[in-house]
Amino acid sequence: MESSEIKRKTKLSKDTKKQYVAAYLFLLPWLIGFLGLVLGPMISSLYLSFTRFDLLNTPEWIGFANYQEMFQDDRWLASAKVTLTFVFIAVPTQLIAALLVAVLLNKKMAGVGFYRTTYYLPSLLGGSVAIAILWKNLFEIDGLVNQVLAFFHIEGQGWISHPDYALGTIIILATWQFGASMVIFLAGLKQIPKELYEAAAVDGGTKCQIFFRVTLPLLSPVIFFNLIIELIKSIQVFTSAFIISEGTGGPINSTLFYTLYLYQKGFTHFEMGYASAMAWILVFVLGVMTLVIFFSSKYWVHYEDGGKL
Amino acid sequence: MKNWYLYFVLALLAVVTIACSSDSANEETEDTSSNDGQEQTDEENITLRVAWWGGQERHDRTLQVIEMYEEQNPNVTIEAEYSGFDGYFDKLNTQLAAGNAPDVIQFGGNLNDFVYRDVILPLDDYVGNQLNTSLHDQSMLDSATFDGKLYGVTLGTTAWGILVNKTLFEEAGVALPSKEWTWDEFKDLTPQLTENLDGAYGTGDFGEDGFGVFLAQRDKFTYLDGEIGFEAQDVKDWFNLWKELRESGGAAIPEVQVSASQTPEQSLIVQQDVAIESIASNQLGAYAGATEDEFELYPYPYNAETGKNGVSLRPSQYFAAYKDTPHPEEAAKFMDFFVNNIEATEVLGNDRGAPVNSDVRKNLIDQADEMDQAVYSYIDLVSESSDAPYIPNLPGYNENTQLFTETEQKIYYDQQSVDEAADSYYEEVIANIDKYVNEAAE
Repeated sequence: MESSEIKRKTKLSKDTKKQYVAAYLFLLPWLIGFLGLVLGPMISSLYLSFTRFDLLNTPEWIGFANYQEMFQDDRWLASAKVTLTFVFIAVPTQLIAALLVAVLLNKKMAGVGFYRTTYYLPSLLGGSVAIAILWKNLFEIDGLVNQVLAFFHIEGQGWISHPDYALGTIIILATWQFGASMVIFLAGLKQIPKELYEAAAVDGGTKCQIFFRVTLPLLSPVIFFNLIIELIKSIQVFTSAFIISEGTGGPINSTLFYTLYLYQKGFTHFEMGYASAMAWILVFVLGVMTLVIFFSSKYWVHYEDGGKL
Repeated sequence: MKNWYLYFVLALLAVVTIACSSDSANEETEDTSSNDGQEQTDEENITLRVAWWGGQERHDRTLQVIEMYEEQNPNVTIEAEYSGFDGYFDKLNTQLAAGNAPDVIQFGGNLNDFVYRDVILPLDDYVGNQLNTSLHDQSMLDSATFDGKLYGVTLGTTAWGILVNKTLFEEAGVALPSKEWTWDEFKDLTPQLTENLDGAYGTGDFGEDGFGVFLAQRDKFTYLDGEIGFEAQDVKDWFNLWKELRESGGAAIPEVQVSASQTPEQSLIVQQDVAIESIASNQLGAYAGATEDEFELYPYPYNAETGKNGVSLRPSQYFAAYKDTPHPEEAAKFMDFFVNNIEATEVLGNDRGAPVNSDVRKNLIDQADEMDQAVYSYIDLVSESSDAPYIPNLPGYNENTQLFTETEQKIYYDQQSVDEAADSYYEEVIANIDKYVNEAAE
């Protein structure tokens, strides 16, 4: 190995070598970060998931007990249900909203830049604590939403304090933050060749037909991309639920997102082993969902070049 | 590709070096401090981290005392780490796990959970040297003693009480009750308040703390010395009492109750959502400071059968030291200053409860304003009339408190009947306690 190494090295010209060194030097910060902040913690959390670990004392090996316990834990089941409900509602509504607004903003009109910025702004503020607090105040029993409803003589609810509605407010918050996907959709729309629209118009296609037969298929790679990104983002949602329910996931676990329960287990109930096991289940489920979407993609994602990029 | 491997190893080495160097730095500081610790010289510069939670009022007062301490001890720099109650213990747990906890830490009734987990420094070596406890109430010292060792300094004495919003009572035209009121009077009074107030309810739910008092009124208790002191029936009776109060219109509707916040500023009674709420007596100042309304402290309604009000004196909070603090003597010295120094305690007042040092308490009573007098006279009233022992928090405090709230909410929103909810609460609370106590025993 050593000799081949040397041979290879001698073959490289001085310049190339310098470039290599420079490249690795520039990579180093990322590499250190990756090893220290991603790979290291991942390996230790995998180990911890097989232990009972109260954060403060030495972990004790218990095999698969944490994983077994999960399926008998009502709160774990509740948290899985809350998260899946959220994903299945928030992701599609957010993407549809993003797409519709993107189509509207793709038109030539006065002040389009202003509108684009306005719609993008919420997702910039995205996961911030301030927005979550604002949301909480909006939907509280004497909040702005109810005041507006009262103006129309509708009696409001304690939206965030009622278990039937609390999750809904967080879904609305997520939908409202469609800006990031919208920008990507906009970019995708710009890529669609004008000739296709002209040809479709000449053939007498209605606006609706053109949208479904031309725009959507040509946009499908972008939809695919946004779908994956939003899926990953929303399955990990945490801040809004944490702030709005003051860390409890209440009322009655109605906003007990998976990550929130994981956090509670790890940091408030001193069960870091269990929390680690939960994290690995999350990784697994997320991986499976992503794979399913990837495999399904060949049936609905159309690349102009036939996917042979 | 082999080059890549080489650099991979290099990078790994770099990580290891960085990690090691920070470790050795830590060791160094620890070493020097433990060597010099015995014979501290004034030149030695020490940084002491102190953590607490509280409202704005408490932050201001505590920071002022810290400044005083720094002035008198120029070699000491104190880093204050303060926050609201939300998230305080989550952060602390993380710091403890990382071996990076503050030197002096404020705990509540959950001190026991941390002593069990062996992260608190026993103070016995410092008592009589840096820390003087000779004038402290014995019961408060006992409350911080586990297995014969003292683990914390009690920052104040408090007692559960009922906060009555006099302003709302006047608005409703309802006469203030006598201080020896019963639950029956309470049940009569609260619907009247709701009826005569616009958009406010008679009372907020007294919650888990109230349940503890309710048990004491029946000569029972939650958990003491390894023993459960109540039955599922007691839980049912408590939840039925509140169900009845909600049905009569006396207690706040679920949606209002659930939106209640822990901070005095956002509490239901300060927001004029309810006219009565259960608080710890040391909080009176914080509640009163957050509004123009006039408040008065009442003892809990009496149990007519046993004639007990079930309220006992209890430690409000503790200062305890982190087991691995590099400056144990300095930490003890700071705690001593905090509870025994006359000027410091004058600044602190009774924000964390009535002082446990009898000299300090006398001094404070002498110069107390009206609000503080009210707190002291309430503590006096309780100490005279106290008919219940001090019961520490349940082991596994965080988990059990969450369980209690969840159970309440299941009843609020008719997801479970009182009987079902109480039964499953009882079962689960026992399982939780077992888990914590057994784990600690291991």
